[in-house]
Amino acid sequence: MEVMTEPARRTAPVSRLVRAELRWIFRRPRTLAVLGLLGVIPVIMGIALAVADPTGSSSPGEGPGAGEGGGLLATAAGSVLVLPIAALTMTLRMLLPLAAAMAGADALAGETATGTLRGWLLAPVSRGRLLLVKALGVATFTLVAATMIAVTGAVTALVLNGADTLYTLSGTTLSIPDALGRIALAVGWVTLQLWAVGAVALAISAFTEHPMVVLASVLGGIIVFTVLGSLDALSWLHPVLLTEAWWAIVDVLRDPIPDADLIGGALKAACYLVIGLSIAYARLVSKDG
Amino acid sequence: MTAQAESAVAGPSPEGPATAASTRGLRKTYGRTVAVEHVDLDVPEGAVLGMLGPNGSGKTTTIRMLLGLVQPTDGDVQLLGHPMPDRAAEALPDVGALVEGPGFHPFLSGRENLLRLAAAEPRLTSGRIPAAVDEALERVGLTRAGGRRYRGYSLGMKQRLGLAAALLVPRRLVMLDEPTNGLDPAGTREIRSVIADLHRDGVTVLVSSHLLAEVEATCTHVAVMNEGTLVAQGDLTELLESESPALEVSTTDSAAAVTALRAAHLSARPTPDGVRAELTRATAPDVVATLVDAGVPVYEARRSRTGLEDLFARLTQDSEEAPTWRS
Repeated sequence: MEVMTEPARRTAPVSRLVRAELRWIFRRPRTLAVLGLLGVIPVIMGIALAVADPTGSSSPGEGPGAGEGGGLLATAAGSVLVLPIAALTMTLRMLLPLAAAMAGADALAGETATGTLRGWLLAPVSRGRLLLVKALGVATFTLVAATMIAVTGAVTALVLNGADTLYTLSGTTLSIPDALGRIALAVGWVTLQLWAVGAVALAISAFTEHPMVVLASVLGGIIVFTVLGSLDALSWLHPVLLTEAWWAIVDVLRDPIPDADLIGGALKAACYLVIGLSIAYARLVSKDG
Repeated sequence: MTAQAESAVAGPSPEGPATAASTRGLRKTYGRTVAVEHVDLDVPEGAVLGMLGPNGSGKTTTIRMLLGLVQPTDGDVQLLGHPMPDRAAEALPDVGALVEGPGFHPFLSGRENLLRLAAAEPRLTSGRIPAAVDEALERVGLTRAGGRRYRGYSLGMKQRLGLAAALLVPRRLVMLDEPTNGLDPAGTREIRSVIADLHRDGVTVLVSSHLLAEVEATCTHVAVMNEGTLVAQGDLTELLESESPALEVSTTDSAAAVTALRAAHLSARPTPDGVRAELTRATAPDVVATLVDAGVPVYEARRSRTGLEDLFARLTQDSEEAPTWRS
């Protein structure tokens, strides 16, 4: 609660703007639908894998040699640790970035289209503050989305298999706090990647008043990046591609955690974040409202 | 309503006759299209200024530049004594605006939409916000519909909610772009009474409209725009009278009246029920005195006033393509 008694304040407090923004984001039917959908995915994954391979659920992963996809999924059904992270890994390929793009699209392009951005600009909210509030809104939404997947993933695995299944891909078993720490690490790392996507979405969002343009651009970008990432001939380009860093999330499940790729991916995301927000800011201050 | 213009703390008063808003040499181009050019607009403090002009004449662009939403290509804008758009933070808290139709979120109720806007109002403390929103809703007659989703609002209700947003805080200047769009006659009357209330409280109002009768009924001043330039501005009565200074006199003996006036070197011509005397070289009392001296029976004498419609037509129809005014 802030106390505001000055007679002629020139700007509304940022905390109040952020609260209004969050209320708006989480009152949106669309936001709730997306969060609900994301929450259901780990449940479906867990049940489908348990049904497909009821025996595999009790055996640890076949070790590092089993390869990422197959080994991860085979292990996922049985483990409270693995299912949330497997679900994060899968949704990070497409669904989570799209959710981040949606939030970024609504934040500026959507608000421009409905004419509501003008209301805040006329209050006035300076354009720098506006971007700050919008970025915090997108950041909060993506954090909630990633957390949602981890929580429902963990709960699903817990219900299906009980709590004594905290083994890693390397075959070791973790304590409960250690496992929770790794899930939190995964959520944090994925959220940072989503902030990078969200920042790029905000940058595109500042240039258009059609939210669909933002969604299509981000979707197209992810597809192009994935294709480029799969071409060995372009390996010199791979360090620049955000999507190439996303495989590193599986490292959270190894013991000990090989942190080089995770740190590299985090730094890459930070670069995208800074560049995206800079472009968004540059566009927003020069834009006619 | 609320605590009155104590909030009039910001802004040094500009020199000369007080203007709430003014532009000098204002110009805006989009690519090769010139939207607004050479606009020197003055909105006197306390006035209700009606901005008239055909669609596409630059009214909205001018208003958006006054509000700092659009960066002028050239020229200066002063709003409540502050240069815009650079000092928007100083000027805008005291300005309420409804521009380019109301913009609200369809999935939120009218009240929630206003709460969201109120959160950004610098002049409102957090504790005052709910009361300010309720007062604004009441002022535009939306108290009962406030809880309903904006999606289900009629055009008139949307317009009123936009007006409520402009009136969330006691303002020094209120700008309304086509506020009566989509309103039925009762709604139009309500807007008119809101404008009259604001005027009585000393608030300057700038209202753009295509309804000439509307402007004539509510405004003290007018500014007429055509093809991006300001073709006339000033006090409404003065503008109308400067158009054709003449006196219409009813008499049974128009022939004698014309003769008497022409003998006094006043130009006059007979009309069906009397005579029309030009007031270019004489005042109305001169004309009446001349007629009475000549023994002409005078039943009635009145200044002939051009309607705003005639003035508007003359000012805007000089262009090659006469603007259509019917819609």
